[in-house]
Amino acid sequence: MPAVFRSDGLRPLSAVPAGWRGVVDHVRQDQGDRVDRLGALGVTPGAPVTVLQTFPGIVFLCDQTELAIERSVADVILVKPAQD
Amino acid sequence: MPCHIAEETAAGRPQVLHLRTRPLRIALVGNPNVGKSVVFGRLTGRYATVSNYPGTTVAVTKGRALVGAEVCDVVDTPGVNALEGTLSEDERITRDLIAGGDADLVVQIADARNIRRALTLTAQIAAFEKPTILVLNMIDEALARGIAVDAGQLSAELGVPVVEMVATEGRGMQALRDALPAAAAPRIWPHQDAQGQAAWAHEVTGRVRHVSALSMARLQEALSRATRQPVTGLPILALVLYILYLFVGVFGAQTLVGFFEETVFGRGVNPAAAWAVSFIPFAVAREFFVGDYGLITMGLTYAIAIVLPVVTTFFLLFGFLEDSGYIPRLAIFSDRIFRAMGLNGKAVLPMVLGLGCDTMATMTTRILATPKERLIAILLLALGIPCSAQLATILGILGGISFGALLTLFGVVLAQMFFVGWLAARVLSGNRSDFIMELPPIRLPRLSNILTKTRLRVWWYLGEAVPLFLAGTVLLFMLDKLHALGFIARLGEPIVTGLLGLPAATAQIFVMGFLRRDYGAAGLFQLAHAGQLTSVQALVALTVMTLFIPCVANFLMIVRERGPRVAFAMLAFITPIAVFTGAGLNLVLHACGISF
Repeated sequence: MPAVFRSDGLRPLSAVPAGWRGVVDHVRQDQGDRVDRLGALGVTPGAPVTVLQTFPGIVFLCDQTELAIERSVADVILVKPAQD
Repeated sequence: MPCHIAEETAAGRPQVLHLRTRPLRIALVGNPNVGKSVVFGRLTGRYATVSNYPGTTVAVTKGRALVGAEVCDVVDTPGVNALEGTLSEDERITRDLIAGGDADLVVQIADARNIRRALTLTAQIAAFEKPTILVLNMIDEALARGIAVDAGQLSAELGVPVVEMVATEGRGMQALRDALPAAAAPRIWPHQDAQGQAAWAHEVTGRVRHVSALSMARLQEALSRATRQPVTGLPILALVLYILYLFVGVFGAQTLVGFFEETVFGRGVNPAAAWAVSFIPFAVAREFFVGDYGLITMGLTYAIAIVLPVVTTFFLLFGFLEDSGYIPRLAIFSDRIFRAMGLNGKAVLPMVLGLGCDTMATMTTRILATPKERLIAILLLALGIPCSAQLATILGILGGISFGALLTLFGVVLAQMFFVGWLAARVLSGNRSDFIMELPPIRLPRLSNILTKTRLRVWWYLGEAVPLFLAGTVLLFMLDKLHALGFIARLGEPIVTGLLGLPAATAQIFVMGFLRRDYGAAGLFQLAHAGQLTSVQALVALTVMTLFIPCVANFLMIVRERGPRVAFAMLAFITPIAVFTGAGLNLVLHACGISF
């Protein structure tokens, strides 16, 4: 899935560089149980995220939990810059 | 149900002693890595294996605790992230446990740094309408990170007692015991869906948690970063593997094994046993204990002198790495490789554990999400991952020959594993799960935790292994006496001498390897020491041995996990692979004139 920058400021977590800070807007519902699994780990709307690294896997801090995910999962996490 | 038989006064407050038809049942529930097992240990005085990755507490652990004057049954459940929606095996077990009669009272353990996540779970626990207590564990680490949680306000929001705790130091345990009678069903506006629960958890967190600018401790942060980034992470990985080799391969497999085998058994136990049985008038009975296939000279010597030191040193170091939070970071590096084999990075956990004991690792494949992943991981463990006893033999024999031979062996075995995994990923039906992994913070492990954990694992190993070693020895002894061993070995000899170009004696060692993988390894060790193997022969024999069918214990574990049909299918698949790979290697080495 290509990095799409949308006019509303939403972008997939896979498209932002290391060091980027923002909040989760929503997790896109696709096949499987990704929304549930991510939600259980705290990746839910409004959660603050900081991207720590993007290679070899994507590692980010969600609230106070450090998570490592593969790119295809990061594609469905839609984030936006923090309001402040 | 309860009736009051006595009243006693503690701290000026009347306490009611309940007489029940059965003890009060307390279930400890919480996300992974929040310290449930430590709380369990503190409550019951027993210690369940604590670790930094989900899955170690796979089985439900039970114990008894004395609260006031009352005996309670305490259940330690596997770490869970959800109790509703799509659930893993662990989560289903936990949900059924809470829903059923096994839990009169739920104690939710939360990581104080992560209450937002914990509260999402609280919202789901609330649905069971059971008396609940919320424990905020690791308050010290939260404070160190500048996170303050208002326990009083949180208690008011939820309508349940909230206890602050540092379980590793025992702080807050008394408060938890005191709070048990006050447990109440959470008063939470019911949220039907995950979205609503998450939104609620977010709001409550915002009200009760205050994060100041200062965040993670600097050294901890630096280490966390260094271990997950490739530039620093890969050299650290190499260093960790080198330390593993020094500690397990050199100190365990050479120094300690040498001491136990030559001194303790060679000069102590075995001569003493030989003297003791010399009073038995029957030659057969004497041989049963101290002969070539003697229960003591072979079975016990291998089990205690050769395997035990290696397994113990491995589990000591593994426990350290596990508690430090390092192992989940390996998953980041290995994710891409495992993905090609239909797995994801999480599979690195059973694979590394397999270097200690494949049997135990086969059991921990339960942490993998889909049946297909579990099947592939079990197959790869059985096929290619050498256990610590085998690893010791490989390093002991080939280390003395040449580094090139060592590299060839690992290269061939890894290539074979990769190929089989790649094939299995395409042939087997089912799905691979997404790689989503929590990285616990890097922390300095507590020595007492590592020691207790190692003790439990070694105990487990001895309980499972020693009887099998001894049973295997008895079987060998009987086969030998019936001259069947020679018969079976002769059947295999054409393959061994012809295809593999090995001495006829190796056939017998392979038969022994069938009974117990590391038996065969040790047998090879002795053959090599006696100078009966050329370098190429040693390499071919060890390659076949590594790829060969798993030990009896491993095989039985596969039967237990996947059923006899799958287990025998794996046996039928792996055996020819091992033989033909060995034959191919033999052919190529001879054709190229390589002799190391």
